[in-house]
Order: sequence, then C-alpha cells, then structure tokens
Amino acid sequence: MNLAGFIARNAMRNKRRVILTTFSVALSLFLYTVLQTALREMTQPASSEDSALRLVVRHRVSLANVLPVKYHARINSMPGVRVCSKFTWFGGVYQDAKNFFPQFACEPDKIAPLFAEAEFDPREIADFIGDRTGCIVGVKTMERFRWKVGQKITLTGTIWDCSPELTIRGVYRGGVDETNLFFQHAYFDELTGDLGSVGTYWIKALNADVIPELIARIDRTFENSDAETKTETERAFQLSFVSMFGNIKMLIGSISTVIVFTMILVTASTMSMAIRERMREIAILKAIGFDGKRVVSMIVAESFGLALAGGIVGCFGAKLLFANVDIYALTQGFFLKFDVTPHILAGGMLIAAVLGVTSCAIPALTAMRATIVAGLRELD
Amino acid sequence: MQTPMVQIRALSRRFQQGDVEVLALDRVTLDIAEGDFVALMGPSGSGKSTLLHIIAGIDRPTSGQCIVRDVDVATLSESALANWRNSHVGFVFQTFNLIPVLTALENVELPLLLTGLSAAQRRAHAEAALELVGLSDRLRHLPRQLSGGQEQRVAIARALATDPTLLVADEPTGNLDARAAQDVLELLEVLNREAGKTIVMVTHDPKAAGHARRIVRLEKGELSPDAAAGLAT
Repeated sequence: MNLAGFIARNAMRNKRRVILTTFSVALSLFLYTVLQTALREMTQPASSEDSALRLVVRHRVSLANVLPVKYHARINSMPGVRVCSKFTWFGGVYQDAKNFFPQFACEPDKIAPLFAEAEFDPREIADFIGDRTGCIVGVKTMERFRWKVGQKITLTGTIWDCSPELTIRGVYRGGVDETNLFFQHAYFDELTGDLGSVGTYWIKALNADVIPELIARIDRTFENSDAETKTETERAFQLSFVSMFGNIKMLIGSISTVIVFTMILVTASTMSMAIRERMREIAILKAIGFDGKRVVSMIVAESFGLALAGGIVGCFGAKLLFANVDIYALTQGFFLKFDVTPHILAGGMLIAAVLGVTSCAIPALTAMRATIVAGLRELD
Repeated sequence: MQTPMVQIRALSRRFQQGDVEVLALDRVTLDIAEGDFVALMGPSGSGKSTLLHIIAGIDRPTSGQCIVRDVDVATLSESALANWRNSHVGFVFQTFNLIPVLTALENVELPLLLTGLSAAQRRAHAEAALELVGLSDRLRHLPRQLSGGQEQRVAIARALATDPTLLVADEPTGNLDARAAQDVLELLEVLNREAGKTIVMVTHDPKAAGHARRIVRLEKGELSPDAAAGLAT
C-alpha cells in the first residue's frame, strides 16, 4: 500500500456516495459542455477561407424588406466583385411543417463560383442550369429525406404564396452548410409573378483587400434611395440571426455559472459529510504522525480525484456522444454541427479541477485545525 | 544514575470551558525510567488522560515541561511534533481505531508510510509486528472481520511498527471481554519485559494496573503522595 492507494481506498469507502457525487459532477459538466458548444455553434458559425470573401447585401431596415432587381447590374459592375447572385430566402416546407430546411432562389450559374469550397459535379451543375425547375441540394438534406437525383419534389411556400415543383438535378458536398436547396430565381420570379425584387444579393469578392472598400461603395451607392442597403460579411450576417435571440451569451453564461455554483455546493456538502464522519480517523492519522498539511493534501487529492472523474465522464462523455449522433437530424436542422472542441473540453476540466479544490477547502481546513485531543474525544 | 526517559516538571494544564477555567493538571512532577511500565490510575476527571496526551505529544501543557529523551516536546512545532510522534510514540486506544477500509497488514503499515522505507521493507516490518502479536494468519482481514481482542492486537502491532521509544495506551482493555483483556495485558507485559518497551497506560481497572511495574495515581490533577515515591501497589 502507498499513500495514493490509501487516498483511493478512502474515496471509495462509500461507493453509493462516490457514484452519486461523480454522477452529479458529470451531469453538470455535461450540461456545461453542451451549453458552451451550443453557444460556440451559434456565435461562431462555421466558416472557411472562401466564405470570408462572401458578402451579403440586404435591405438596411430588415430582412423582411426586399431589394429592387435593378441593383443587380450595378453591383455586378462594381470593381472588386467576382460574382454576384440574386439570393432570395424561400422558407418553404417539404410535405410537413416539421420538414424545414433552408431553400434559396438563386442564379444557377453563380452557385459553384460563389460556394467554391463545396464540391459540385460540373455535369450536375450543367443539368441544373439547363432545367428551369431544377434544383441542387446539399448531401445532408438528400440523406435526411432519402432523395435521389432525378426525383421530383414539391415545396410549399410559407412566406411566398406558391409551391415550386422541382426536379433534383444534383448534390453538393462540403462547404460550411450541407443542408441548403438552391433553385432558379427565374422560376421563383415566374411563380411569384415577377415582383421585380430580390431578397438579398450574395457577392464573392476578388480578394480580402477589396472587401472594406466594396462594402462602403455598395452602401454609398444606394444611400438615400427607397431601398438603402446594408452590406456585411457572411459571418456578420449569420451572427445577426443569433442576436435575434437576445443576449444569448449572457443567458448561457448565467446558466453555466449557476450550474458551476450549484455543483460546488453539492460537492462541498458531500465532502463535508465525508470528512465529518472521518474526524476520529483523522485524529488517529495525526496522532501516528500525519501532520496537518499532509492531511489537507490527502483530502484535497480525494476531492480532486472525484471531481476529475466526474469531469472526464461529463465532458468526454459529451464529446463521445456528439461525435456519434446526427445533430442535424436530432435538432431538426437547428445545428449543422456540434463540435465539442479541445478548448471547451479544457474549460470543463479546469472547472472540475477548481471544483475539486474549492469544494473541500472548508472541510480540509477544519480537519487541519482540529486538535487530536478533540478528535479523540469524539470517538471516546 | 541513568537519566529518566520521561521527565515531567511542574506540569500544568488548564482548559477553558465556556466561562469556566478547569485545571486538569496542577504542577505535576514525575519521572518515568526507560523500560518502565507505568499505570496511570485515578477517578474520571483526575487528569490521567491529559497527562498521557502531553507525554505522547498530542496535547501541550499550559506551563511546565515534558521532556522525553532530552526533547522538550512542548517546544516542537506542529510539523516537528508530528514527525516526533511518528518515530517515538506508539498509540493504543480503547476503541482500537483501526482504519475500516484497510486490512490488518495495511493498518500496521500506515505509520510506516511516513518513513523512508521501501514498500517491501514496510511490508516486512508490518508482517513482523503482526507476527509479534500473534496475528500472522490475519494479514488480509479487514477490522470488521476480526474480534475485539484481535483488533486491539492489530492496534498494538501498529503502535510497534515504527519501533517507538514509548508505547502509550489509553484504557486498552476498556472495550474487551475478560479473556481478550487478559491476552492484551499479557502482550503488553511481554513487550515491556522481553522487548524492553517503555509503556505508559491509563486504566480504571486495578487488575489491568496489576500488570504494570508501577502505578501512579492522580486526583484532581495532582499526583497522590505514593506516586512520588514510585511505589507499586
């Protein structure tokens, strides 16, 4: 036997308590990990080198307001623009209201250059361009509905009063989002009676250096018009959706703090009970030569071990779980990915470590300060 | 003349109990020679356990000195005192106080964890101590698997494991039946007579005290007159 073995034996003396404590820490840290991952997914949307070159032009007032189609030619001719496509959110459903996924009306020949990081089959793109009612769909949505290329589908509009009947002409893979459906803006215009408007314009800039000037130029061009624009990067555009939920960072931060604080109270209570029951044994240990510092270090090691075990189960359990579930299907498309990053894991384990030390601080100090005679009196 | 192993000089101990100050020991002076077996007797509250605690270095006097092998125990820091207890004092308690999650062998090994001995040496020492108390066939037993007498013998083996200068026993037979008590007292007697261990034992039981070489009586924190003369009764 050595000291580590003695500490482990002490920790395991009440197996039910150990299991329940470890489980409560694990559950709390699992929840913390889930919240932090959700926050990260919402506030740091997936991006790529290519997506950094994409800009979104929308109505200055809100996304509910549309832009005139005549802007297209003017934006397209601006210096620094490599590609510019009409891009209108359709927001329909497939068969049932729960079958929601992103659908956009766009210009078919612009999709591949606009989303160059995604893999498109050139023949399928050609088929898409050649079919006015054709569409191209992300692989995740294809798998979700078990669609096949060539299949006909009908979307039911929830914003626009029309139901496009589409033929799937191709599948794309990769990129930052594999759930979108793109169909032809010309077909959309035909169904809606050619309103002469567009939801947004998506632009691919020539390079990163031109972006600040390009944003300023577009917004300046349409300043004081009936439809003033707000041009922003794709990332900023995505983050503006998160801001619609309110101060999500503060909300999740507050919940995480409550979780951690509750966890400290629960574990501190458990450790206090465990140490109180052992005051007589601690007195004996001191009598046979264990000094106060050694007693404290043994208690801290025991608490630290329990908290760390809970942390490993909770944080790495979350990592393992989300690596093996289809989060897109589980959340019905709310989250595309749910990556428990090393940074989040490290944060969870750090909390476990701090929890291990803080939760036993008071009982450890009490044990250190208690005199041997007082401890012996308890037992006699 | 040989210097006594334990020299207690004008030792007093006061406790504060609420607003009342209790004088547990009042200017006690006592010598205990090396190899002696002293029984401390007296009624409840006479201060015998307090005296034992101060001799063993788990309590400090309010005034006076307690010198064990030329070390004034009260002057040591907490950490130094813990080290001193580990190497110089072996404890035997009324309620055995074995660690319930450790086997007999591991309980005896416990004080050896603080020494520089290797794992094999610790184990050898612990086995030897358990053999000395007649429990070499109970090494792997947990305390709850042992009888009261066996538990107390494990506790004695633990007290002997570091080969201490002094063995202190606080009512070592208080929780045992007559047969087990007799075995434990005979064991202490053998340890004193054959291994030369200096033993200080607190007891209420005159029969138990009869196994000691010398009886010291305390009353109201003071030594009774015959104690000073060092007479056995």
